[in-house]
Amino acid sequence: MRTEPSISPGGLAIRGGVLSYLGVMVVLPLVALAWGACNLGPAAFWKELSNPFAWHALKLTIITALAMVVVNIITGTATAWVLVRYPFPGRGAMNALIDLPFAVPTVVTGLMLVALYGPTSTLGAILGAHGWGVIYQSPGIVLALLFVTYPFVIRSVQPVLYEMEDAEEEAAATLGASPWTTFRRVTLPTLWPAIVTGAGLSFSRALGEFGSVIMVAGNRPLETKTSPMYIFGEIESGNRHGAMVVSAVLLACSLGVLLALNLLQRRPGGDHGR
Amino acid sequence: MSGRPDAADAGSREGANDRGPAGRTKPVALAAALACATLMLPVAGCAPVDANQGRDVDVLTIGAYSVVREALHQGLLPAFAAKWKAKTGRVVRFEESYNASGAQSRAIASGFDADIAILSLESDVDNLVKAGLVDKTWKDGPGKGMVTRSLVVIGVRPGNPKKIAVWDDLAKPDVSVLYPDPKTSGGARWNINAIYGAGMLREGKDKPDPAAAVDLLRRVQARVVNMDSSGRQSMATFERGTGDAVVTYENELLLQDKLKGEAVPYVIPASTLQIESPAAIVEDSVKRHGNRKVAEAFLEYMRSDEGQDLLVDWGFRPLDPTRDRRPLPLKLFSMADLGGWPKIKKSVYDPGGVWDKLFTTKAPKTNDAPKRLGTGGRAG
Repeated sequence: MRTEPSISPGGLAIRGGVLSYLGVMVVLPLVALAWGACNLGPAAFWKELSNPFAWHALKLTIITALAMVVVNIITGTATAWVLVRYPFPGRGAMNALIDLPFAVPTVVTGLMLVALYGPTSTLGAILGAHGWGVIYQSPGIVLALLFVTYPFVIRSVQPVLYEMEDAEEEAAATLGASPWTTFRRVTLPTLWPAIVTGAGLSFSRALGEFGSVIMVAGNRPLETKTSPMYIFGEIESGNRHGAMVVSAVLLACSLGVLLALNLLQRRPGGDHGR
Repeated sequence: MSGRPDAADAGSREGANDRGPAGRTKPVALAAALACATLMLPVAGCAPVDANQGRDVDVLTIGAYSVVREALHQGLLPAFAAKWKAKTGRVVRFEESYNASGAQSRAIASGFDADIAILSLESDVDNLVKAGLVDKTWKDGPGKGMVTRSLVVIGVRPGNPKKIAVWDDLAKPDVSVLYPDPKTSGGARWNINAIYGAGMLREGKDKPDPAAAVDLLRRVQARVVNMDSSGRQSMATFERGTGDAVVTYENELLLQDKLKGEAVPYVIPASTLQIESPAAIVEDSVKRHGNRKVAEAFLEYMRSDEGQDLLVDWGFRPLDPTRDRRPLPLKLFSMADLGGWPKIKKSVYDPGGVWDKLFTTKAPKTNDAPKRLGTGGRAG
């Protein structure tokens, strides 16, 4: 049975099963949300979206996520670079530690950040005395997002670096290129699809981050209330439609990013193309 | 629990017979077992219905807001059980659920079969009336549907270093304030109503003054550093060291003393709001469970002198003011003085109301500096 080519009834059943599973688990909830957000018509949709509280929450979410992405691109690429190119004691341990933020419950992440940077901690008090409030301010949100998305860029860049021949880099170096020129002209073009993939994934992930952000953001309307917190508040106070509209916008952003990444990977030069 | 491993075993043995290597079929069996377990969950939830019949055990399911948890679980429930046993010879077993008031109300409205709903806000019971689960006349009985009272007070740091005595002190530039988000917490609405009401009913004015109310609320909100999603979380944030002041229920602060022997000092502002929390029988559930008698007896007990004294012991204020042993503020106002919950909900919390306008409009420029609200604060 199993050795037969693809058209067997068993094969069809498996495919059908998997597709229906995808439908039930992913597509149906998405459709339900989209329907809930749109069924009152575009005017009602726009009214909820243009509400200053919803709008500010969306802006804050996207701006903090973008700030996180910028930091993540630089530090993530550097971390992957160091892990692949430079042997040092403890490299194995570091490599194992990188995935830890995925395993930590996000509320715990928030709690750790409050313990470290909170207004009553030593570090928080020193920063606060210089006017750099971290916790209950937007830098706290960026820190939380950085923590929960820590592995994304590293883990997408790392395998590409492993596969990359360093012959080209060496050739560039022997031809007199400076290390920076070599990196910019030789290494980066190969790496960038992977960097963008990691950045896109962390951006999508950050849009919906709730558990850690609610601990550190301060939750003040028009100041530090992010979209997930806004959605939660609207649900709790009975504005289901408002919550759905903002959810749908967040979802559309995530979906857009994922689709763009998918297109990127299909282009020649993308490393995960099929 | 024992059902799951059995089902999994049976599944893999079966699989081994007709499909070869057991390793390939195990996930299927596991998934089947999980699916069965999931399907059986709702059935398990119905068990208390049977427990009531033909045995000398009464089961009472309580759906309450989280603030009364300790007072009920350690105080009133055991006391009532002893009383019920002495009176009827029957054992009463409690199924308890505690959650934020709004969430609890929604849970009951959407099928959680609590026999008694003990909630923070009248409007949360009104939602159950709208859902057809609680009788329209629930407010007609003794206590007007209420079971307990408390005050909105200000918790401060030991020694009250920021010298906080009245609501206006929360607006001082070097003070940081905590209260929960009124979008997610019914308790927050009591807290915010207290500040709003104190501004509204300022001394020396013969008419309620909405502009002064908005002004006071705006100035206090400007000092708020973090709005947690519930009063309990707000208290936890305060205990972790954030904030100079936390606006909360008096009983929440007294509870810290009761549980940890470590009092959180607090001040009762000269003018503050009386919190009144309701309880009602969920008709639909008691009908199905056939336990109306014990449910009624429990509510009656909560309102009896003995029950009220127990609640006072846990930090609440009694329904009957003459049984109150704690100091009162100079001026105590109630939701009725502010026009009642429906009016406040509409004018303050509905979209476009006072709460939204705090953030979307700039403070008007006024010449008269805000007057302080007397100095009647007392340390508790």
